[in-house]
Amino acid sequence: MSTSAERSWTVRLRKRAVAALPPEKLLPDGQPTYVASWIYVFGVLSLSALAALIMTGSILALKGPSWWHFSSTGHFFNSLHLWSVELFFFFMVIHLWGKYWMAAWRGGRVRVWITGAVTFLVAVPCALTGYVSQQNFDSQWISTQAKDAMNSVGIGSFFNLMNFGQMYSYHVFLLPLAVTGLVIAHILLVRRHGVVPPFELEDRLKAARAGATDGASS
Amino acid sequence: MAAIFNLNHHAGYVHWHFIDLSVPNVLVIVIMLVVFAAAILIPFPKPTGSGGA
Repeated sequence: MSTSAERSWTVRLRKRAVAALPPEKLLPDGQPTYVASWIYVFGVLSLSALAALIMTGSILALKGPSWWHFSSTGHFFNSLHLWSVELFFFFMVIHLWGKYWMAAWRGGRVRVWITGAVTFLVAVPCALTGYVSQQNFDSQWISTQAKDAMNSVGIGSFFNLMNFGQMYSYHVFLLPLAVTGLVIAHILLVRRHGVVPPFELEDRLKAARAGATDGASS
Repeated sequence: MAAIFNLNHHAGYVHWHFIDLSVPNVLVIVIMLVVFAAAILIPFPKPTGSGGA
């Protein structure tokens, strides 16, 4: 390859991306046998619920409040959106519990754990801004209560819960963008580092690696 | 069509010291704990056929 091509930022970026995540790691054709457990299913269930959330939310955003309040199809999609978020948090919290008790940050997986935990923290205001974006008495009640919480901690001038436009922008653009970006980073990191092995297997792997190193050095 | 559950009233609440939770939220938390325990305890089905990973 010529020197000018090697200096190109696209070539350097491609080389770094392929080195960090080769195609066989990015799209593997198998998983370790220890992944054959129901507790490993909740990550992909959370992803499925997130996909349903984005699809139904996009349709609601296209049609608007008069549609989701006053037509039967709008009610149906409004309910799909609500139950998608219920399932998203249901599955995500069980996924979080499972990974916490597995200590899923082991083996250089700290960034996998952090991106997952931050996704959960960002998803909470993403859902709460949805409550105040409903355009009904329920959202008015919630926003008047929540603004007191914001004011009491001194951030009421940044987040005005009574400002529908601001809350709607947070709900349909800024926070979903953050959640989606974090989820993509989380998945890429899982692909890079692999699914965390059980404790006893990790101990055996460490012992095997130590044995191999000793054998090579002697 | 009548709803299976009549939700057109205030939810009941569970008070215990400083803990104050609506009954629906308590139910969801209990179901999550049950599903979590089941996910650990119930064996995952083994792949059928010889080509399983």
